[in-house]
Amino acid sequence: MSKRLCWGLLMATVGGCASQPRPAPPPPSAPPSTVGALAAAIDADSKRSDHETDSKARAEIAADASRNADSCLALQPQAVACLYGRGIAFGLEARAHPTRAGEFLSNMLDALARADAADPAYDAAGPSRVRALVLLRAPGWPLGPGDADAALVAARRAVALKPEYPANLLALAEALAKTGDGSGARDAYSRARDAAIAMPTSEDRDAWLRESDQGLAKAR
Amino acid sequence: MSTLLEAALATLVFCAPGYPGAAGDAQPLVDQFASAAVAASGWPSGSLAAVYDPTEQGGLAKLNSADAVLAFVPYPFFVEHASQLHLSPLVQADVTDVGPQQRWSLVAKSGRVTGPASMAGFTILSTAGYAPDFVRHAALQGWVLPPDVKIEATGQILSALRRVAAGEPVAVLLDQTQAAALATLPFAADLKTLIQSPQLPVAIIVVVDSRVPAARARALQEALLKMGAGSAGDALGALHLRGFVPAKLPAAAPTP
Repeated sequence: MSKRLCWGLLMATVGGCASQPRPAPPPPSAPPSTVGALAAAIDADSKRSDHETDSKARAEIAADASRNADSCLALQPQAVACLYGRGIAFGLEARAHPTRAGEFLSNMLDALARADAADPAYDAAGPSRVRALVLLRAPGWPLGPGDADAALVAARRAVALKPEYPANLLALAEALAKTGDGSGARDAYSRARDAAIAMPTSEDRDAWLRESDQGLAKAR
Repeated sequence: MSTLLEAALATLVFCAPGYPGAAGDAQPLVDQFASAAVAASGWPSGSLAAVYDPTEQGGLAKLNSADAVLAFVPYPFFVEHASQLHLSPLVQADVTDVGPQQRWSLVAKSGRVTGPASMAGFTILSTAGYAPDFVRHAALQGWVLPPDVKIEATGQILSALRRVAAGEPVAVLLDQTQAAALATLPFAADLKTLIQSPQLPVAIIVVVDSRVPAARARALQEALLKMGAGSAGDALGALHLRGFVPAKLPAAAPTP
């Protein structure tokens, strides 16, 4: 069977990896016009896409995110929020258009690299964390950019930049598991759990705890 | 009533170990394919469900269920499990950019392997590593491996090739798509293709344990061989298939 059978099918796990799933906010009523508002709109698009099952609706959300990212970059081409948002928008496009996922993911990684160069600490080391998740979950060579070794490097960088952020530790745990370091993965999941427990109550915290527990159960 | 019940229980199991994709994501595509196949073959509408499993064990579990009447599997899976599961070939997939057949390539570090005997103690990594019979007796039928060679499955082909280039006692068995892309790697000069397999089927649709009556199997076979246009073409394209050709398996292929 062709590897291409499922090329792009796991984009659902990549497109929304900038943040943990939360209830879908309603679409904005007025077009955003500042860098902050446009970045927030892209974040909202990402969350809406997480909760959308209809492929046409996902494509519309991805298009909206891309428009917002382009508007943001037109305002401030070097702003990390815009570069990062452009990366996330490419991820949503990859999810919405699986047959062009390779092109979109490549663009996504480029945008994340530019965001990292602008401010590696943005969104709690988001550029490195999201890069790690894309490299972990995208199809591997030669069909896509997936590369577990490179993902591990990116995840270690995210943890080095923001060691107590649970999502970074979860990305590291996933990378360690995928590269065959089960013991390291267990340790990272455990650290992620501890870090999440130390966070204030929130839906993100619940999601991190759930993912840590699932990872620990799997890594046993 | 019994006919309806029987029809509703028929399932086509897609199983692709080692390849990317999750069951939930693949479901709409395999559903579309099953609907198109049923429509083309004149089977009652809704009489064939489809399910996707990306793992060997998951696929085997599904194929052991009585409702699993057909399977769409890579040829290595067929070689490994055809006898045990009584799989009878129906048609061979014609895969976009690959075709109905492909050659597999065994790759090692340049200068490290001088012949089969020098692979003692090696590990062969491959997306088809879950099917050691396929690796030893189909892909490497002209390259008799020492008995202590280990064969392991991996989805991390790039990592495996890096291990080869680093000089570890590892060789990698690549499918045609992977082998064609070797030259794009920055360390391609460190790698050498030791041997290529004969042309082998890429993937086939099989009847499981004679669970489809002969007449219905024939109708489906004829319909699959004609698929390729209109809505059926869309269903094929979504799975990166051009169509199907009559199954022509190697002489040494297992029989049900």
